[in-house]
Amino acid sequence: MLIGYLRRAYSSFAAHVFDVPSRLMAFLFFMILLLVPAAGLGPYYLNIVIYANVLAIFAASWDLLVGRTGQISLGHALFFGIGGYSSALLFKYFALSVWITIPIALAIGALAALLIGFPCLRVKGPYLALVTMAFPLIIASTVKWSPLIEIFGGEFGIRGFPGFFPFLPVLQQRTAEYYFTLVLLFVSSVLIYKTANSKTGIVFMSILDDELASKACGINVTRYKLLSFTICGLFGSLAGVVQAGLLKVANPPMFELSLSFVPIIVTFLGGIGTIYGPIVGAYIYAILDRYILSDLVPRVLRENFQLTSLPSGYEFSKLLIFTLIVLILVIKWPRGVSRFTTDKLEDLEEARDLDERGPRIWKRYKKKKSSTPA
Amino acid sequence: MLIEQIIVQGAISGGVYALLALGFTLVYGVSGVVNLAHGSYYMLAAYMFFVLGTFGFFGSDPMMASILALIVAVIFVGAVGGITYRLAIHPVIGDEIAVLVVTVSLAVVFQQLMLLVFGVSFPRVSWPKGSFLLESASIFGISVEYSLILAFVVSLVLFAGLMIFILRTKIGKAMRAVSQDREVAMLMGINTKRLYMLTMVISAMLAALAGIFITTSIEKSTGSWLWFRPLTLSFSIVILGGLGSIKGSLIGSFIVSFAEKTVSIMVPEGGAIVGVVPLAVIIAVLLIRPKGLFGKRIEMEE
Repeated sequence: MLIGYLRRAYSSFAAHVFDVPSRLMAFLFFMILLLVPAAGLGPYYLNIVIYANVLAIFAASWDLLVGRTGQISLGHALFFGIGGYSSALLFKYFALSVWITIPIALAIGALAALLIGFPCLRVKGPYLALVTMAFPLIIASTVKWSPLIEIFGGEFGIRGFPGFFPFLPVLQQRTAEYYFTLVLLFVSSVLIYKTANSKTGIVFMSILDDELASKACGINVTRYKLLSFTICGLFGSLAGVVQAGLLKVANPPMFELSLSFVPIIVTFLGGIGTIYGPIVGAYIYAILDRYILSDLVPRVLRENFQLTSLPSGYEFSKLLIFTLIVLILVIKWPRGVSRFTTDKLEDLEEARDLDERGPRIWKRYKKKKSSTPA
Repeated sequence: MLIEQIIVQGAISGGVYALLALGFTLVYGVSGVVNLAHGSYYMLAAYMFFVLGTFGFFGSDPMMASILALIVAVIFVGAVGGITYRLAIHPVIGDEIAVLVVTVSLAVVFQQLMLLVFGVSFPRVSWPKGSFLLESASIFGISVEYSLILAFVVSLVLFAGLMIFILRTKIGKAMRAVSQDREVAMLMGINTKRLYMLTMVISAMLAALAGIFITTSIEKSTGSWLWFRPLTLSFSIVILGGLGSIKGSLIGSFIVSFAEKTVSIMVPEGGAIVGVVPLAVIIAVLLIRPKGLFGKRIEMEE
């Protein structure tokens, strides 16, 4: 019976995953991610992938709010900072372990989203974008303000709390952190994706398409917008807590405007409104930023041109390259990398009848079932 | 003494802020673009003024050279505004998210370009040494530099001139028509594409003028991050006055400027959190009166 159950589970899984090329891609993507630490990467390269994982959570939550609900937020760093700072403050004043601060910080993040979302969502479009942009900047200035330096630590922020796995040696620590962030990414991306494709998600889409029409259909638009905002804040602060725990510091750059733009860049790289797009985009971004532009290119330059130090403008041209990429993407190729790939993949496959779908095992199982007399 | 300081300084910087906000509100009113790159025109102009002033392209007389530098910088920034509009903003016009992303990216591109060219140093920007503009006059016992007074006067004159331009000329009429109803205006034969570009050029030139006036007389130096404060300023002013309302932007700029001066003078360590004032104004206005002081009601349903 167990074997039969397993076979059925496998065949259903295979039918749902292996036969749809884009799903197969996603599956392979996660499989490769699982094997990353086995490739024998050093701590530096593992850090890049860990960063990508955190970024993916951060950007996917932004995509739910903006790409799926149509509420433009330019202040997603707010939740990142709130997550990081609440974890750090809880450690500083109550000496709580980082693990215990995660759920509390998530609750604080969601609560903050609810409190801020309630007034903010009265306005929409560009107004909303600017109000949301204003919040993290106000908090950043408050955190840096000298009379409050005792509490928030001023420019340097709050440091000195132990990481997630302080008892392990360095390389194992990185590996453990990698799997931890990967699990978090998997769980939160599945949750966000399921939310986006649930009944609630359909309501979100209806708000994106036509707010007035969905209102006319008797949908409490404000409540759903608020829900979307809260989910977005919840996962945004999750990324913040994890980042603070990984870097062992919570500082004002967590509220910075440039951090609010990162999810935008990432989402446009991957494809807005897809949820899986930002995850792909996060890896592209992290590899481009932390590997190609920070490690590979400088190394090649140094080796081939015998440079002792890089040209002074190099650091500045990184962000320039990124923003130019985003500009060109938005203007010329607004559908993003992941959507483009899935489209191509779906084109490869001839459209088949739904019954025809599924690998051989699935068909045999179905045939057997239909052949038995009723 | 404190009150007088607030009133005099607030009034003078308010005049310059009005110039900044007017361009922003014009672009929004006519083309519906929320131009987050508005502050970068301000920054670009300050840099241009610095470059043209330093290398002395315009003869030996320092005062004449400065004035020519100002004019060339303003025209240059206007051209930049027009070109960026044509290349980047126009293709995505109508898509709110894309417009915001494109204009923010433009701002960051300008910032990084300036960082690349000028590094992280703060080039000093000021009127030539020894000119009367650097001396101070006394108004109600508060000493105010002549350069600020000049900025104030020029701003108000320009503001009045633009009002006349919008209310009396044919192009101004076209602008008002487009801001009322784009489709019908197009049907009446208005070339909206060209009109949007013209508005953008005017707006960039206004921001450039404000940038040169403020950097030469208040901040005395320029920097690549400088686009952000004027952006928040113009945004808060425009939201306070009502998006698209010209009268509102004039009154809003004085209110915001008084509020800023009050905070920087009355609150301990206030100078460090002056940047918060415009942001707080944005939030307060949107929470209490989302349409702003003079704006039409923000349509919740379109």
